[in-house]
Amino acid sequence: MATDAPAAAGVTTDEKALWERIKEPAIYVRLISLAVVIGGWELMGQTGNIDPVTFSYPSAISVAFWDLIASGKMVSAAYESSQILVAGLLIAIPLGIVLGILMGRFQTFEYAVDTYVFALYATPVVALAFPIAMVLGVDFVGKTTIVVFFAIMPIIVNVYHGVRNVDLSLLEVTRSFCSTESQRWRDLIFPSVVPYLVAGLGLACGRALVGMVVAEFLMSISGLGALSQDYIADLELDKGLAPVVLLMIVGIALTKVVNICETKFSSWRVRQES
Amino acid sequence: MSSSDNGTNPTLRLQGVGKWFGSLQVLDGIDIDVKTQEILTVLGPSGCGKTTLLRIVNGLIFCERGKVSFKGEVVDGPRPEMAMVFQNFGLFPWKRLDQNIGYALRIQGKAQSEIDRLVSHYTELVGLGGFEANYPAQLSGGMQQRAGLARALAAQPDVLLMDEPFGALDALTRETLQEELLRINEAEPKAMIFITHSIDEALLLGDRVLVMTPRPGRIRFQFETGFGRGRDLEEIRGGKRFQAMRHYLWEAMRNPEVEPEPIPELASE
Ligand SMILES: Nc1ncnc2c1ncn2[C@@H]1O[C@H](COP(=O)(O)OP(=O)(O)OP(=O)(O)O)[C@@H](O)[C@H]1O
Ligand SMILES: [Mg+2]
Repeated sequence: MATDAPAAAGVTTDEKALWERIKEPAIYVRLISLAVVIGGWELMGQTGNIDPVTFSYPSAISVAFWDLIASGKMVSAAYESSQILVAGLLIAIPLGIVLGILMGRFQTFEYAVDTYVFALYATPVVALAFPIAMVLGVDFVGKTTIVVFFAIMPIIVNVYHGVRNVDLSLLEVTRSFCSTESQRWRDLIFPSVVPYLVAGLGLACGRALVGMVVAEFLMSISGLGALSQDYIADLELDKGLAPVVLLMIVGIALTKVVNICETKFSSWRVRQES
Repeated sequence: MSSSDNGTNPTLRLQGVGKWFGSLQVLDGIDIDVKTQEILTVLGPSGCGKTTLLRIVNGLIFCERGKVSFKGEVVDGPRPEMAMVFQNFGLFPWKRLDQNIGYALRIQGKAQSEIDRLVSHYTELVGLGGFEANYPAQLSGGMQQRAGLARALAAQPDVLLMDEPFGALDALTRETLQEELLRINEAEPKAMIFITHSIDEALLLGDRVLVMTPRPGRIRFQFETGFGRGRDLEEIRGGKRFQAMRHYLWEAMRNPEVEPEPIPELASE
């Protein structure tokens, strides 16, 4: 009976959540707020209070958005951008995890590298764009490197803290039962790091997106950054802002994915609600 | 009646154990022998070093003075023949109950079928059957404590070190588990050190009761309860001997400075 209790509780919690959300005033406040802001902005545009050369308004941006999608320009630009984004994240995530673990676990390694890591953490990465361009060029390698620099810091720092904050009394439990070092990683250290890592990944995704746009603006111009800048330079603000909307949507989607991972990996944290 | 028939050589021997944390002396001159099948219960005020003593016996921390030996070998680190029941339970929050209880067996590399068998046996024994799929956060404090006990029992150690293992339990569960523990000790000879704050529990379970002084923890006195194997807890409780020892211990705990009048019931044997 009690064996399937968690599953049963899961269902009720979900149903409850849906009902609670409908009752919740937060959603209505948000919807009204959106309606007022977007509606007001639209109204300003419709009544001719926005000069289309300097700014645009929602319906015009939406039309431009679909035009760019239909013409295939948005898709090819997004494809170009996503290459440096994905490559950057694929390098930053494993590298950040390894560096964070090494720093957290090996004191000598920590002392050897912590100066650079914390110095870089405190430096605005944008300032590194020019030195990176000088050394690695302004194309794929240079741009990917910028994304890596943006994304890797929160991963290193979070993983480091995760390894450092391992519960000492549980460490003693593993010692008491004669665990080997590799068993200790499996049973204790990796599971303790996961929540920190997931939080770090959330930050990393957001920063990688910033890094991508920065790279596209500051280095050889390409992808969504280029698309946006070209139209703005031509004073077609509606088309210039459409890629920005896409970036916003991607950013929100990435955050959501990370949130879902977060709840998935921390199911053991939740005390079952009756 | 002797407390065991086969175990006259001590399984555990502590000689002159002294422990400092920095400049704070926590233990001083502890000499203890625990025989193969003996249950030693330890009473002492909070902070007198009982947990510290168990950690030293387990080889988790070292003592500055004296030494601990297990079957004649000096203990210089944890060994699989010993298992600890931790005062704060020490369960892994991300492991399910069955995974927590089978933890020691997995560490020892036992076959999965063997692990499953032992886990289900000891899960039932501590009364947690049906909760295998729950995470510790979904269990009450008493249930977590029983899980910690089951984990140590499942490892089938020669030495069981128990740090207030029944502290969070209700009276009924506590009594059931006291009887189980006595039964296990009879079926599979184990040396047990059992820390408790309950005078009754110390007397009911202990072949020998040891009382410690406040910090630094020293041995204040110890005596054999003489109840023997196969004891009936109900019968013991009603007996004069139990009452006399109980009174003696109450007096001793109440006045840490003064030694109470000796017990005639004990002297007469
Ligand atoms: N790692 C440590 N560092 C410094 N002091 C410690 C450490 N562990 C324990 N102590 C001190 O040693 C003393 C004994 O602690 P211990 O946990 O052994 O007491 P205890 O007898 O188990 O108490 P309780 O009955 O409350 O569990 C306490 O004063 C405690 O503050
Ligand atoms: Mg203690």
